[in-house]
Amino acid sequence: MASAASAPSRAEVLSLFRSLLRTAAKFTDYNVREYAKRRTIDGFRENRGLSDPSSIASAFADGRNQLEVAMRQVVVYSLYAPKVKSVMEIGSG
Amino acid sequence: MAAAKHLSLIRRAFPARRLLSTATAAVVDPPPPMAAEEDVISMKGVRISGRPLYLDMQATSPVDPRVLDAMIPFYLSRFGNPHSRTHFYGWESDAAVETARAQVAALVGANPKEIFFTSGATESNNISVKGVMHFYRDKKRHVITTQTEHKCVLDSCRYLQQEGFEVTYLPVRPDGLVDLDRLAAAIRPDTGLVSVMAVNNEIGVVQPLEEIGRICKEKGVPFHTDAAQALGKIPIDVEKMGIGLMSLSGHKIYGPKGVGALYLRRRPRIRVEPQMSGGGQERGIRSGTVPTPLVVGMGAACEISMKEMEYDGRRVAALQERLLNGIRSRLDGVVINGSVEHRYAGNLNISFAYVEGESLLMGLKEVAVSSGSACTSASLEPSYVLRALGVDEDMAHTSIRFGIGRFTTEAEIDRAIELTVNQVEKLREMSPLYEMVKEGIDIKNIQWAQH
Repeated sequence: MASAASAPSRAEVLSLFRSLLRTAAKFTDYNVREYAKRRTIDGFRENRGLSDPSSIASAFADGRNQLEVAMRQVVVYSLYAPKVKSVMEIGSG
Repeated sequence: MAAAKHLSLIRRAFPARRLLSTATAAVVDPPPPMAAEEDVISMKGVRISGRPLYLDMQATSPVDPRVLDAMIPFYLSRFGNPHSRTHFYGWESDAAVETARAQVAALVGANPKEIFFTSGATESNNISVKGVMHFYRDKKRHVITTQTEHKCVLDSCRYLQQEGFEVTYLPVRPDGLVDLDRLAAAIRPDTGLVSVMAVNNEIGVVQPLEEIGRICKEKGVPFHTDAAQALGKIPIDVEKMGIGLMSLSGHKIYGPKGVGALYLRRRPRIRVEPQMSGGGQERGIRSGTVPTPLVVGMGAACEISMKEMEYDGRRVAALQERLLNGIRSRLDGVVINGSVEHRYAGNLNISFAYVEGESLLMGLKEVAVSSGSACTSASLEPSYVLRALGVDEDMAHTSIRFGIGRFTTEAEIDRAIELTVNQVEKLREMSPLYEMVKEGIDIKNIQWAQH
């Protein structure tokens, strides 16, 4: 279990950010994929100003949990991806 | 050895075959004719190139992946019945149910002991309306509700009327809000319940819950609200709003279908007669095994909604403005049904003048929306909600309800604007009525000749 007592380094935060975006891009569902990308970016932007180490640590821990959820759900969604994609992915109408 | 040779012969004769049948094997009839070649969906005479973009969030919402993640373990190894008191499976399941109960309670400012799980808001509405009046049937014979309530509330009231209770169906103002003075005046000494929904599913209007709660508290009448569309979208506080009973739904807040909850106040205690007889689960209020995976899903959905309410609220409001401006900048004769100020942004119900609703919907097959009469879609009559607002018949027929939610993107809104505007323009071009309006003729004063 990762200890949330010490604040993560900048490198760790960036690595988490990139992992979340990479994982988000793998969702086969258009709406979930867009949401995951957008929420990650907005979430990290919102927390950019955090200065208190314990709140940074808890936000980081929360992010890691979200990453684990996302990695599992990417698999689940891909197992059941419908054959026909959303009209948003197919092109102009 | 003989056995091995025997086996290898068999293996060569019969190529590897699954001995276990899975439930998805072709035992079930294939679904209705749906061609899926060249990535085209063909169903009910309509051909579309892909799955439509979904803008019908009031009908139901997609399950959030985080909710699904919380539910799956309870379909795999943690499948116990929460009422099994004697073993680990039961304890584990019960713990999950109680966690979910606390999550739901936290979202509405209630005590977990005041939350009871049901099969959905319809069941909760039934328990609230019928259950309360049946319990207090000796002293209380009168119910007050509005004309724009959901069908299950209106139907429950009709059922009570057949049993001899009296029901007052309060009219609403043209903006959809209930008139507080009329409500106060309608309360009698034998009024047992006031039921006003928090957010209307058709027009998205938000009722003044705090004021209604205050009136009901002064007069000592329990206040029931159907908060199926409101949960997780507007802040709900049962104390501040003086709510006595509340119906909640799982599948409107990105949770699973088939689950809902009922909030029942403990102080002062509101009693109900249960509608389901059985083993006395959920403190006797609702018998039946509590469906752990669904309840866990609803709890997770509530917790996520509590964290995301502000973010989602801001986004949805911005998307609604984008949709409205996009449509209004290119079309005239666009009317919003229901109050603009007191509305939940994710529900936009608009009428397009001089356009017929069914034909508009037929042309919007790449956008999943519903017309104003979705809940009464079996009949041809326009929605009773729009009629209660005083909307003209022809405008009521052309109403479209756009439902925006957590997962809606700007690109989807833009595409919806494009498709809607194109279709409305096409229909208006073909419409002789519109031609006449453009020439300045006042349609309402035409004397139509008899043949």
